[in-house]
Amino acid sequence: MTDLAVETNGLSRRFGELEAVRNVNLRVEAGQFFGFLGPNGAGKSTTIKMLTGMLEPTVGQIRILGLDLASDPIGVKSQIGVVPEGLALFDRLTGPEYLTFAGRMYGLDRVTAAERAQELLDFTGLADRTKSLIVDYSHGMKKKLAMAAAVIHGPKVLFLDEPFEGVDAIAAGTLKAMLSRMIARGATIFLTSHVLEIVERLCSHVAIINRGELVAQGSIEELRSGVSARRDDGQKLSLEQIFLEMVGGERAAVPELSWLE
Amino acid sequence: MAGVISAPGKSTQLFLVGWLRWRLFVNGLRTATGKLNLAVHIIMGAGIGLGIVGFGVLLGLGSWYAIRYDKPPLLSGELWLVFLVWLLFPLVISGFGAEADPVSLLRFPLRYSTFVLLALAHGVFDPAAAACLYWLAAMLLGIAVASLSALSWAIPAFGALALLNLLINRAIYAWLSRWMAQRRTREILGAVGILLAISGQFLSPLANRYGRQALPWVTRLASGIRVLPPGMAAAMVKFGRADDLGKACAEFAGLLAYCGVVGWLLAIRLRAEYRGENLSEARHPSAEGRAPVRAGWNVTGVSPTVAALFEKDLRYLLRNTMAYLTLLTPVLIILVLSMGRHDSPHPKVTGFMRFMSGSSTYFPMGVAYVLLTVVGLAYNSLAYDGPGLPMLFAAPLRFRDVMVAKNLLHSMVLAAEVIIVLVLVQFVGGPAPPVVVGLTLAGALWAFLMNLTAGNLVSLYFPRKLKPGQMRRQQASGLSVLVSMGVQVIVAGLAAALYFLSRWAGNTAWCGAGFLVLAGITWVAYRRVLNLVSGIAWKRREALLAELSRPD
Repeated sequence: MTDLAVETNGLSRRFGELEAVRNVNLRVEAGQFFGFLGPNGAGKSTTIKMLTGMLEPTVGQIRILGLDLASDPIGVKSQIGVVPEGLALFDRLTGPEYLTFAGRMYGLDRVTAAERAQELLDFTGLADRTKSLIVDYSHGMKKKLAMAAAVIHGPKVLFLDEPFEGVDAIAAGTLKAMLSRMIARGATIFLTSHVLEIVERLCSHVAIINRGELVAQGSIEELRSGVSARRDDGQKLSLEQIFLEMVGGERAAVPELSWLE
Repeated sequence: MAGVISAPGKSTQLFLVGWLRWRLFVNGLRTATGKLNLAVHIIMGAGIGLGIVGFGVLLGLGSWYAIRYDKPPLLSGELWLVFLVWLLFPLVISGFGAEADPVSLLRFPLRYSTFVLLALAHGVFDPAAAACLYWLAAMLLGIAVASLSALSWAIPAFGALALLNLLINRAIYAWLSRWMAQRRTREILGAVGILLAISGQFLSPLANRYGRQALPWVTRLASGIRVLPPGMAAAMVKFGRADDLGKACAEFAGLLAYCGVVGWLLAIRLRAEYRGENLSEARHPSAEGRAPVRAGWNVTGVSPTVAALFEKDLRYLLRNTMAYLTLLTPVLIILVLSMGRHDSPHPKVTGFMRFMSGSSTYFPMGVAYVLLTVVGLAYNSLAYDGPGLPMLFAAPLRFRDVMVAKNLLHSMVLAAEVIIVLVLVQFVGGPAPPVVVGLTLAGALWAFLMNLTAGNLVSLYFPRKLKPGQMRRQQASGLSVLVSMGVQVIVAGLAAALYFLSRWAGNTAWCGAGFLVLAGITWVAYRRVLNLVSGIAWKRREALLAELSRPD
């Protein structure tokens, strides 16, 4: 039996009348590069917030690396790294101060935290801005720093919410290189992204969520063959085509706007 | 493609902004906290409002008396009071309601004139401005009853003064926000503030030493005050009533000239804001450079996690000029106290006044002021953590450690300030008696623990996001203010009761013992609350993240 890095059973979350996530059963095996896809408002961020302990599920169970998140949140959190939607940076610190702080929050001793912070600053190309406060960083620099802080303790599972959003090609290259190293050392990566080309290139497995419900889960090849069999046209489908098929068929006809004729 | 429509008219834009404010207010009431905050504002507003109405009646009577019995200095004094309250009160308490920044509306085709009107409208809706406008109206009523001819001069004079106050108020905010927005100017402003505070300490000794020689200068200064706006407004009424048209018009022209100068200074800022000036720190990045990463701090006696959190909190405090300038105010209070001191027994200074001006009261009053300043931080201790807060929930730490680090920082700030106050008191008024020092420290320990205990809970239940280095829109939640006031009333009441009981029993040492017993009981309560903090934070993490980590 393969070890599961992320497992959810009947995961649901309500916000008043709205059921943002409904009965989601995820299975992410250890070592997978896993893409979590869905249209806007489908429930991706809600799910990732629940998986990282920032949002309480209405019902359902979350197990990370076999540990129950509800009963052992500290145990789970020490094994994972998170780059949340808003990046969660203390922006009145400098980059090195933030990285050493993050390292110590995850239990590293002072010296190790400083050594790893230095390596990460060199790797991400932020070593030339060691005196600048984070508030002075560009968006791409902040993303790289958030990623560096998320991996400083060598997590076994890394959760990334839209890591490539608003990032230029150079910064994206650095982030991809960092993720590849994580995968090479056996970590599991769980990311959400709207950039389907990147997901298709990086991820081995994906899950697609639509209107709060999981509509597909498996390797990209499995999803491709499933959709191809349904369409029966022998065409090799891209992830975008698979995605559109899963969340509501072909791209809907765009209605006209009367004042933009 | 269809043609682009023209920008809407000024009245339409003002109506839309008014509608926006109304919707923001109504939508803010959807949450229980929003409703509770409104209730608190109504309760507090009713109490304050009664005081304002009563004071307005007094001012009205005063101006009636000043005109009826020809006492121009009284009218001038009243106008000075209104002038100072209007200017200083908003600086001390930066408004009660959330203020929508007109800059955020600049993405729309907002006319410059509409933008200016909105900026001024925010000034009018400031509670202090509203109170002062009411007071001016009450004074006009008093003048009208006394003399209708005086009223015809008072209306333009008071109107010009009100306009000037409004312009000064907006200009001060606009310029201070401009200077506080960037680190370099903030540091300069901070240094100026510190120098002023320190140099102010020398005023009293200098006055004592050179008081007689300085008297002509002081007299000249007092006559100079006449040419400042409140004095000019009062003089305009006086000359107008005496049918000295030339002098009255000259005073009015002077008032309008003040309005022109201040309006021009305000216009410089508003024009810059309208053109899209960005006051964020990012415009002036701090020095770039490559330096080796240094290991974090090691704080003896606490866990590495608490040490790291403490280091972060202290760095945040030191990078927040407004916060540590606030912490410097106790130095000023000692100055104020020392200026009113009476070293030699004076036949007219007796009883309570003698007690209040005695050097032995400086230390307790200074410490009380320090306490009020420091505990202000404790009631909204997560205020500046907003953007990074999700990281604290994602990391494997107990939230208890977060609060312990903050309490540790607040304790160290308090200890440092108490020492400063002790040294200053020694310098200004001579050594405080050991009994007074002992009683004060015991009482302060108990009061501080009470406030930390309540503050830890209030910080989790009624948090309010604040931005470092910003002056406007920086207020704690109404509920946290209410709880804080409640705790201070309880502490002050119990402390006074203990003190007078022990005096009645003939042994003030009992009061100190009572404080220590209360501190011991509160310590137990503090520890219990601390043990609950992790669970509360975990349960309330969604609300905390929603309030503190929301985008600007």
